[in-house]
Amino acid sequence: MFDYTFQWRQAYRALPQMLDGALVTLQIAVLSMVIGVTIAVILAVARNSHSRWLYWPATAWVEVARNTPALFQIYMAHFGLGSFGIYLSPYVALLAGITFNNAGYLCETFRGALRAIPDTQVRAGRSLGMGQAKAFRLIVLPQMLRIAFLPTTNQMVWAILMTSLGVTVGMSTDLTGVTQDLNSRTFRTFELFALAAVLYYAIAKAVMLGARLLAWRLFRY
Amino acid sequence: MNSKIIASGLIAAAVLVGPATADKLDDIIASGTLRCAVVLDFPPMGSRDENNEPIGFDVDYCNDLAKALGVEAEIVETPFPDRIPALVSGRADVGVASTSDTLERAKTVGFTIPYFAFTNVVLTRDGTEIDSYESLKGKTVGSVAGTYEAIALEEDINKWGEGGSFRPYQSQADVFLALSQGQIEATVVTSTVASSIVESGKYEGLTIGGDAPYIPDYVSLITLRNEYGLLNYLDLFVNQQVRSGRYQELYEKWVGGEAPDLTINKVYR
Repeated sequence: MFDYTFQWRQAYRALPQMLDGALVTLQIAVLSMVIGVTIAVILAVARNSHSRWLYWPATAWVEVARNTPALFQIYMAHFGLGSFGIYLSPYVALLAGITFNNAGYLCETFRGALRAIPDTQVRAGRSLGMGQAKAFRLIVLPQMLRIAFLPTTNQMVWAILMTSLGVTVGMSTDLTGVTQDLNSRTFRTFELFALAAVLYYAIAKAVMLGARLLAWRLFRY
Repeated sequence: MNSKIIASGLIAAAVLVGPATADKLDDIIASGTLRCAVVLDFPPMGSRDENNEPIGFDVDYCNDLAKALGVEAEIVETPFPDRIPALVSGRADVGVASTSDTLERAKTVGFTIPYFAFTNVVLTRDGTEIDSYESLKGKTVGSVAGTYEAIALEEDINKWGEGGSFRPYQSQADVFLALSQGQIEATVVTSTVASSIVESGKYEGLTIGGDAPYIPDYVSLITLRNEYGLLNYLDLFVNQQVRSGRYQELYEKWVGGEAPDLTINKVYR
């Protein structure tokens, strides 16, 4: 039993506002990936290190980031830190939560990619007269990027979808926030949510296609 | 024509016509259960007691309605944003959920005559020096997204400029948490909620900082827009609650004092 008449015209009137929201969503996702990749590289190095002062904090980060719901991570960034007197705005809290999550997953992606390349390749390079750094740059890095690239774009899509959790901390300018706000004003729930879903799909698809294209350009033999 | 044909014709007509004319009101009476969508984080209208049982003005109102219909009441807990999906998906029959009767929403859902009227106050923390609505200029404030008071507050904050900002939250509980943590400096809530939350002492240091000069927020029962039979019944029920003094009785029980007028002078509804 679904007793509802769709009024698409009313929903389309909301489209410009929702597109603005989609832009904010994309912006947060991109920022969280840029910062996330940076942190993930540091974490991956730390997890490969023999110093326990580097290994254990990095391991703790990865464990928490990968084994707790993203919703809690974002909620804790806002209300959790708030109870210690550290106030992050909804935007920053959402960005921090997603970045925390991204860094945890990407760290393991990078570490896995690094592990996939046998040591013998570096030794072979060294025996050809390459230095340690040169062998890494010419032999390990290109292969590592190739392995890690698609999982990384996967995480990018996940980051886009995670931004929708921002409403729980009062985020109102991203796509979900804008949609929720319009929904409680007009009660046109199903048209608005359907439109939002289409927009999320389009963004995620566009990112994935862009990544495929980039991978094809970069990693062709 | 012999009587056999007439009789079978009548039976056929009853079979054909019977189900077709049954509307939501008939369905409720036939099913023996009235399912009310009630918001349970909005005291004193709806909340839970120590035993996790739903209590509040809206809960009692739903029970009264079920009694009038001669059926059992069932409270369906519904957050504010889910009121329409709850009705449309058939999870609830009626929304007894403090729904402001805006014209925008009335394009989607059927409103009865108002069953309650809210006035709004500023709620803030000790030591913020906020003592009137005007002193909210340039402050960070928040409220439950999309509510009557949230829309009015956001408009004023934008109109004033002066660096003030507005944050919408998903639930009343989140607003109080944000306020008590200092993430926002004040909120505008209905006077009933404000006095109830200050009295409860659940959040320390909250205090009422003056009245918000809004037009009273009239709220109605809601059901599907095309259920005229039910809407008609609900209108009469609201009228009877006031007439019989039950509205005043419930108001004293949950809020205290004189119940506000549900009518506007010089106009119907």
